Amino acid sequence: MLVISDLSARVAGKEILSGVNLKVNAGEVHAIMGPNGSGKSTLAQVLAGREDYEVTKGSVSFEGRDLLAMRAEERARAGLFLGFQYPVEIPGVNNVYLLKAALNAKRKAAGEPEVDAYEFLALIRQKMKFMQMSESFLTRGVNEGFSGGEKKRNEVLQMLVLEPKLAILDETDSGLDIDALKVVSTGVNSLRDPKRAVVLVTHYQRLLDYVIPDQVHVLSGGRIVKSGDKSLAQELERRGYDWVMGAQVA
Amino acid sequence: MSAALHSFEAQWRARSADALQPFREQAMQRFLKLGLPTLRDETWRYTDLRSVAAQSFEAASCEARGAIDPNASLSLVDAAQHAATVRMINGCPLLNADMSIIKGIEINSINELSRLDPKSLARFFPPASDADQRRWVLLNTALFIDGLYLKITRQVTEPLVILHVSTGERAHEAAHPRIIIDAAPGSSATIIEHHLSHGDIAPLNNSNTHISLARDAQLEHYRVYATGANASHMDSLDIHQASGSHCKQFTIALGGGLVRSSLEAHLNEPGASLDSHSLLVGHEDRHVDCVNIVTHAAPNTRSRQTARAIASDVSRVIFNSKVIVNAGAVHADSQQSCRGLLLSPRAEIDTRPQLEIHADEVKCAHGATTGRLDPDMLFYLLSRGLDRETAQSLLVYAFLADVLTGMSVSSARAAIENALISQLPDSQILRNFR
Repeated sequence: MLVISDLSARVAGKEILSGVNLKVNAGEVHAIMGPNGSGKSTLAQVLAGREDYEVTKGSVSFEGRDLLAMRAEERARAGLFLGFQYPVEIPGVNNVYLLKAALNAKRKAAGEPEVDAYEFLALIRQKMKFMQMSESFLTRGVNEGFSGGEKKRNEVLQMLVLEPKLAILDETDSGLDIDALKVVSTGVNSLRDPKRAVVLVTHYQRLLDYVIPDQVHVLSGGRIVKSGDKSLAQELERRGYDWVMGAQVA
Repeated sequence: MSAALHSFEAQWRARSADALQPFREQAMQRFLKLGLPTLRDETWRYTDLRSVAAQSFEAASCEARGAIDPNASLSLVDAAQHAATVRMINGCPLLNADMSIIKGIEINSINELSRLDPKSLARFFPPASDADQRRWVLLNTALFIDGLYLKITRQVTEPLVILHVSTGERAHEAAHPRIIIDAAPGSSATIIEHHLSHGDIAPLNNSNTHISLARDAQLEHYRVYATGANASHMDSLDIHQASGSHCKQFTIALGGGLVRSSLEAHLNEPGASLDSHSLLVGHEDRHVDCVNIVTHAAPNTRSRQTARAIASDVSRVIFNSKVIVNAGAVHADSQQSCRGLLLSPRAEIDTRPQLEIHADEVKCAHGATTGRLDPDMLFYLLSRGLDRETAQSLLVYAFLADVLTGMSVSSARAAIENALISQLPDSQILRNFR
């Protein structure tokens, strides 16, 4: 589904990614872990199409298409979803309007008819209930005045409504208490499907107790320095990132 | 002497004296002595009036009133709401014999009233001032043909609309609409002034509104500029507030080629409170200059100024605000906030919040930011699959939204929102969004 080959990228003139290689197949859940500043969020943003992040080398293919040639909105409509680490607040743009516009943009691109308002509201209420979100969400601006945890729930809610083929969740677990973490994990697990893939970008192992990854990768210094199965995450938790970074030097 | 000054002097000489002559005389002498403001005058540093000064103006005729289609151009305040409406044609009020169109607001002609009781209006004509922001008010005082005196006597829930129409066949017609709003103690009302022009003429509109709020009176006041692209509009608003009174004011600049909008508020007694909101939209080559001067003249007075400026194409929008806290006005509480949004590299927004404090123990905050659309917000919307035009329009609309949500008259809000949207790029997309 996703093949990243030798990807390098710069942000504000500084190289952050230096030759990332990664292959994610449909049906898989991958975790990308790494210390702060290792390039995890940059990788997520580059894959989603952030324009001020400059790709200097390499290629990315998504379902056989050249992802880097597509604009951010085209990637979204093709089924890629980024759950933001810091979802931005947009007062004045209603949550529901945004979701409806997003869903319709995707359906339109797929040649499907737009959802009608009634149908859509029913869908949203069902997903909100699943994510244990309050009704007030319906009338508020995008992420406006949301707590950190509410913002993350909202990201997962959007993901559930849009049903992406590939979801990249950037530190969706950070700042969540244990109850919220369980809700978010249930949301992510509900999307697991032989036709979909999930990439979890995370600093900590605890999310991986709830969403069991097929593969775990360690990103350090802008490249993947170690890959393994879920036991790698546990080992990292025990021995710290210095262990892998030491291994890299050796 | 400029061509404009010459022509105003000729108009002055041509008119016959009336009951307000002493005020008019004083104002005109002062105006002729000082002349039109220039870029050297403090509150005019952003607006060059040389092209106005070079024109020769004629008095706009009240006769044009016959040509007005009474149902035309009422889109702003939805006709379906049947809001009580008074029309002002080129500054001349259209008054019927029965003006009891709205309970709790007495509607009178200023001329009529001044003939019957010249002293009663004296307090609405303060001594002529040399201050540059009051220059056009002097001219208005000297030359207004008639005006509306509105006395609010009790709590009124239904809004009253004043429709100012500029019309005429000849170019260079100048009108000087004058409104006095006098709110009795404890009264409340909503008044919407809507300025528009008929046809592709290039009129000069020099309007003045004087608001006086007695103890505990409440007023929600709107002034909406929607004149044509060739129109020049100098509008001034004076607000005088007694103890416990509250004024919620909305200034909305949608149209006009050159718009100069000033507000001078005097919080004269303890507990007086003002919320001023300005939505200033510049597009094409329009010029919108908004000047607010708020004086806290008594202890425990409160003011809030919120401005949102948007400039596209080669337009220029200015928000120039000043808060003055007089000596003794302790515990004055003021905030000035202006946000500007530039939609084109050749547009310009100037913001200039100022403070002049002569008292201790006051709380005065000010802030101004101007920028382009927030790239993080834009990326967030794009990453959800919205196309670029939709995302941009949505963010522009969102930028204005918090001022719009403060409007209590839902029909006016919807109409203003509609009118605003039609001024923005990709308006059709935005319509679908609401």
